[in-house]
Amino acid sequence: MIEFRGVTKTYPGSERPAVDDLSFEVPEGEICVLVGPSGCGKTTTMRMINRLIEPTEGEILIGGEPNTRISATELRRKIGYAIQQIGLFPHRTIAENVGTVPSLLEWDKERIRRRVDEMLELVGLNPDDFRNRYPAELSGGQQQRVGVARALAADPPIMLMDEPFGAVDPITRERLQDEFLKIQQDIRKTIVFVTHDIDEAIKLGDRIAILKQGGTLAQYDSPENILTNPASEFVASFVGTDRVLKRLSLTRLEEIELGPPQGNGGLPRLPEQASLKDALSEMIGSGAERVLVISGEGRVRGSLSLDELRRLSGRAG
Amino acid sequence: MEFVPAGFVLLQQLEPRIMDWGWVRENFAEDVLPALVGHVYLSGVSLAIALAISLPTGVLVARYRKAYPPVVFLAGLLFTIPSLALFAILVTVPGIGIGPNAVIIALVAYSILVLVRNTVAGLDSVPPETIDAARGMGLTARQILFKVELPLALPVIVAGVRIATVTVIGIATIGAYIAGGGLGQLIFDGIDRLFPTMIITGAALATALAVAADVGLLLLERRLRPWARRAGGQG
Ligand SMILES: Nc1ncnc2c1ncn2[C@@H]1O[C@H](COP(=O)(O)OP(=O)(O)OP(=O)(O)O)[C@@H](O)[C@H]1O
Ligand SMILES: [Mg+2]
Repeated sequence: MIEFRGVTKTYPGSERPAVDDLSFEVPEGEICVLVGPSGCGKTTTMRMINRLIEPTEGEILIGGEPNTRISATELRRKIGYAIQQIGLFPHRTIAENVGTVPSLLEWDKERIRRRVDEMLELVGLNPDDFRNRYPAELSGGQQQRVGVARALAADPPIMLMDEPFGAVDPITRERLQDEFLKIQQDIRKTIVFVTHDIDEAIKLGDRIAILKQGGTLAQYDSPENILTNPASEFVASFVGTDRVLKRLSLTRLEEIELGPPQGNGGLPRLPEQASLKDALSEMIGSGAERVLVISGEGRVRGSLSLDELRRLSGRAG
Repeated sequence: MEFVPAGFVLLQQLEPRIMDWGWVRENFAEDVLPALVGHVYLSGVSLAIALAISLPTGVLVARYRKAYPPVVFLAGLLFTIPSLALFAILVTVPGIGIGPNAVIIALVAYSILVLVRNTVAGLDSVPPETIDAARGMGLTARQILFKVELPLALPVIVAGVRIATVTVIGIATIGAYIAGGGLGQLIFDGIDRLFPTMIITGAALATALAVAADVGLLLLERRLRPWARRAGGQG
């Protein structure tokens, strides 16, 4: 668990704080997404956790202990950090890059080797192909995965990820996000994730901290609550006028109660993993008033009508 | 009487055969080899000392940036003193006197500028995000310097070493003037005896030595940088 207690950071020579009196908690095993406009203090907030930046006021507790209890280098070896610019070591192979913290912790060679392969597999890179390459021989997206693998390598309970999917195209990005959520289901790390993309925040976050200019916390809540009850004009405009759609994108067809399968085979069919937003899009696109929901085995599980969808989104506010 | 340049007189008195290979063969062990070894010694020791001074200095002034301009100014000042004048000055300093030590001190003085400058430039060329990532993973300042910054700065530092090496091997020939030994000895003796074979032998070996050292360092640098070679990147 990570707890911010009245944390303020004023950079030397600056009159106004970059982060102002921040207090919030990230429960163990959850993903907390820091989101907000450029310059609102997301990176500053994140870097105070592993003491790359020291707060001017307040304190940060990790597992109930102030993060100043142990030395900064020791602390950082326990916290995985994937920086925004990736920052792989150009002179080290992919295996050496991923093995950085394990070798700092003096794991034996064989254990490091196994761990490196495991991490590369985890982020979807074939170890035999990538182990001995240098970073310059990888695409941007592949480098970003190595950055995440490197941050995970020593199995730290806490991960800090600063726009880790920032440098890839939207399709790859979506795939990386899906993989990331799948991995998190297994590893259950406490993750602080920075993005300036509200859609990414809604998709990945168990909780979202929306920061505004001047480094104050505008709202800290679950994605559902932020979309349903934005705390202020600022939050409402930040999440966008399409927040009803965004909320629909949070719910998958398998999570709702479906109507009986009606009509004939002419209705559009959607897999049960698709979101309500996908269903709406399908209805608008095809002109149908109803879609059929198909299970993994290809059976028709039920149907969803436009009226029902309207009712569901109405609850979304 | 007309002014006749010394070189002209020299040319007029040259023997018909400019290169006397017999002399080289007969005097190889006695004159040529010791001169070559002496030259390698002068250059090698000078470069080693210059590196021992310049690397830490470079690392320090790269950190404490305010110290960089004055250090470069001083090193640049040393670099501009004509070599013959610097030798002459050093010889008069008590405790140094005539001999190889004066030559080595001068050669060190000449190397510092390029070595410090390239060390700083090399460290500046390290991507800041690489250092940031290293810090974020819990490397100590020392580990970052030795495992990240210096290896990445190496190409630029070695480029400086190559320039310094070629410069030092060239200037070292003048050291024979103050009894420093080395290949310059062959050249000066050849001038004294009006014997071109010695001059050519000395000059050719000095040139060959410089070229060999340069190529050797280039190959060493490539070896130390497999990542750049494999990626087909910068040089
Ligand atoms: N080292 C620094 N010295 C002085 N001011 C800084 C420093 N780093 C950041 N700032 C300022 O603090 C504020 C917050 O910066 P920060 O990098 O935390 O923003 P951010 O939310 O991460 O922005 P972005 O989305 O653009 O990355 C900005 O106004 C920035 O100019
Ligand atoms: Mg940032």
